[in-house]
Amino acid sequence: MPTIEVLINFFFPISLIGFLCLSLQLVIKMEKVKNLQSVADGLRKSLDEMDEQAKLIVRTDLELNKTQEELDKKVVGLYALQRLSRAMSMTLEENQIFKIINVNDLEDLGFEKSCGFLWSEKEKKPTLILSLGYSGKERREIESLVEQDMRFYLDFIQNGKTLSSSSIPKSSQIINEKIINTFKATFFVISAVLPKEGDRGFLFVGTQNSDTLITEGDEELITILANQLGQALENTRLFEQTWRSHQDLERKVEERTRQLSQALDEVKTISQRKTDFVSAVSHELRTPLTSIKGYASILLAGKLGDIPKEVQERLEKINRHSDELTNLVNELLDIARIESGKMTMKQQSCNLKDIAEKVLDLLAVQIKEKRLETSLEISDRASEAYADPSQIERVIINLIGNAIKFTPPKGKISIISHKEDKQVRVDITDTGCGMPEGVQEKIFHEFYRVDNPINEEVRGTGLGLSLVKHIIGAHKGKIWVESKIGAGSTFSFTLPTGA
Amino acid sequence: MPVEVGIGTSTEREPLHAVKEAVEQARKTIGGNINLAIVFSSIDLSYQGLPLAISNILGPVAIVGCSSLAVISGQGIFKHGLAIMLLGFSDGDYAKTACVKDVRQKGSLAAGEELAEQLLAQLSGAPRNLSLIFSDGLIESGSELITGLQEKLGSSFPLVGASASDNLSFKNTYLYFQRDMYSDAVCGIIWGQKLTFGLGVHHGWEPLGKPRYITKSHGNIVTEIDGQPAVKIYEDYFAKKSAKLKKELKRISILYPIGIYLPGEEEYLLRNIFAIEDDGSIIFQGNVSEGSQIRLMIGTKESCLEATQRALDEAKKQIMGHRPRFALVFDSASRFMLLGRRAVRELEIIKAGLNQDTPIIGLYTYGEQAPLRALNYLGKTYFHNQTITILVIGD
Repeated sequence: MPTIEVLINFFFPISLIGFLCLSLQLVIKMEKVKNLQSVADGLRKSLDEMDEQAKLIVRTDLELNKTQEELDKKVVGLYALQRLSRAMSMTLEENQIFKIINVNDLEDLGFEKSCGFLWSEKEKKPTLILSLGYSGKERREIESLVEQDMRFYLDFIQNGKTLSSSSIPKSSQIINEKIINTFKATFFVISAVLPKEGDRGFLFVGTQNSDTLITEGDEELITILANQLGQALENTRLFEQTWRSHQDLERKVEERTRQLSQALDEVKTISQRKTDFVSAVSHELRTPLTSIKGYASILLAGKLGDIPKEVQERLEKINRHSDELTNLVNELLDIARIESGKMTMKQQSCNLKDIAEKVLDLLAVQIKEKRLETSLEISDRASEAYADPSQIERVIINLIGNAIKFTPPKGKISIISHKEDKQVRVDITDTGCGMPEGVQEKIFHEFYRVDNPINEEVRGTGLGLSLVKHIIGAHKGKIWVESKIGAGSTFSFTLPTGA
Repeated sequence: MPVEVGIGTSTEREPLHAVKEAVEQARKTIGGNINLAIVFSSIDLSYQGLPLAISNILGPVAIVGCSSLAVISGQGIFKHGLAIMLLGFSDGDYAKTACVKDVRQKGSLAAGEELAEQLLAQLSGAPRNLSLIFSDGLIESGSELITGLQEKLGSSFPLVGASASDNLSFKNTYLYFQRDMYSDAVCGIIWGQKLTFGLGVHHGWEPLGKPRYITKSHGNIVTEIDGQPAVKIYEDYFAKKSAKLKKELKRISILYPIGIYLPGEEEYLLRNIFAIEDDGSIIFQGNVSEGSQIRLMIGTKESCLEATQRALDEAKKQIMGHRPRFALVFDSASRFMLLGRRAVRELEIIKAGLNQDTPIIGLYTYGEQAPLRALNYLGKTYFHNQTITILVIGD
């Protein structure tokens, strides 16, 4: 069939071309697919690589975050520690030291429960002095459990260590459990509080928060806190000791002052009574003495007829002794008057040189008798005193009289005055027998007499120097003596100048 | 002025003292009548007597609130504390409250529906424009709760919520409603009339690594990812075995959640790990549906704070020139942990963006509920993890 042949001849090349075209297209497409496949493979590979990188990023980021958290925790903890240290250093009461730690600080340190115990050496038992985050019932339980396990906690304090739920080795899990059971917190740090002196103890901090990981950093922080507690306890104890001894001292001073002023009051009363007594007795003595002296004078004058010589001698003795007794009574009365304040000094401006010259004139006979040399060195500058002239005359008579009495013949007596600031000082020096040390204060006492041959020979009232001291004292002056056995004596007194 | 506001805080450790101090402070700054008290407290202050004490002082005032890891206020962030915001409405404005108990027994979906019904019943047909929800933070199916609410309120109705938290021990969280305190409950406030508000919600986490797909899941339990046990994704990324991951779960869950890709939405929806099961499945804090594309997410303190700024800016933009009257902040507890000492910086950003005297109250949550794209009023509300939700109410 030509038509079929023709058709075949006609279509075959076309089909062949078509087939070839399709094949070509297929080949091109396959090539494209292959290319796409390899691009997709490349993309998948990069995606996988990117995912691997993401893993690295995530892991690094996690570590970074953990470090950051730890750092944050530390910073907050350190701030809390700093606050606590400052507060502790300002606390002076021992029982307030532990109480400085409050819930907020504890939270900043990363814990919610805390206990502080101190071991009372005296009572041999533990005392709970801090409890945060516990109910009353829990507190009582803890107290009794700690008391039961006293041995363990005492050893712990003795060792002075810090333990934590992370640092207790697996082999000592029993300790871990004991602490967890006692203080009802799974994660904890416990550290000894060791002041150098006095009761020691420990600080416990804990938490039930399961996110907590107790690190070495936590242990360090709590150890520092416990050390600071110890230091603060020590400081308060030292302060308390100092304060107590200061108080003691003050109390003692007060007590002694009271005793002294009581004693002084008694002395004053006694002295007043003595003065009153002396004054009364003296007055009573003066009247009969006047009569005795009067009658003796009448008898001596022969107004009642002649008297035999023996009687006259005795009467003269009576007269002389009566005079001495009157002197004694007068001086006693004067002392009593000065002491009781009844005798006032009629202070006025007076010239010491004039007074001294007058006294030397008065005593000229005795001076001459003993052939004593006298010198008077009172310059115009140092002659003015604000005093009662008649009383000062008595003082100088007494002192020069004594000098004459105790200075051997041909000795020397000098009177020198010095101007000192607002007062004038008069020294009366002799070359007499002097006196031993230790009596120099006593000679101003009433009726005191230095043990020496002259005193045994020449009698005196024993009131002269006492009266002198009273008079000078009433002028607000001072009197003293410097003397050595065999080297003479210097009596010095001061008087105000009134300037 | 439509709403009168007073705010008070206290850091007293004794609940009754804290109540007294905070309420007195709040009352000083509010004139006129008080209708509603929003109360947030740290977990250590949570006890039955707390709402009762507030109620005893304030009298017949609706009380709604919950426990938190820490309370947020303009005065600061307090780990131990109480913050109370008192609101007084003038004519035309109102807020109604309701509470549903025994959520676990009823099921989250049913509880959500019941709450919505109760709220609507109180409105009795009046216009509504915003609802605030507080729920027990340990209810696992928080997403279902929203679904339930949306069933009744409408899926585009603005719903903003917070799951109560505790001190990260995940033992008990509490809700305050009127004179009582509850666990296992959900309570809400519904606002009516012309409330002007702006809402911003962001987290600041970015995707990392290659996308993966959920191949097997049920609710919030994910069994397989890319055909392998779910836990493998975390094992691979961290080069840690399951047991070790469990030990560090809290940290890993907070820092590296998974992000669910939602087509058409701006950001990934985050999910924290709640637990890793022995069979290698992962329980998340919120639903993850089968077929979802997911990525591992990574965040930094900086990206977190940038998100805060963005959330605030968006919220402010929406009140369109109105003066901010007060602000509510629902901030994820995870962010508080991540930010650490810089949590205060977040509060500073918010304060700087509002007027100096704008009252602020807020809490840290175990989950937030908010429309994902807040720029759009009608954005659908999701259950979130790790976000900061800022609600600004304008004059």
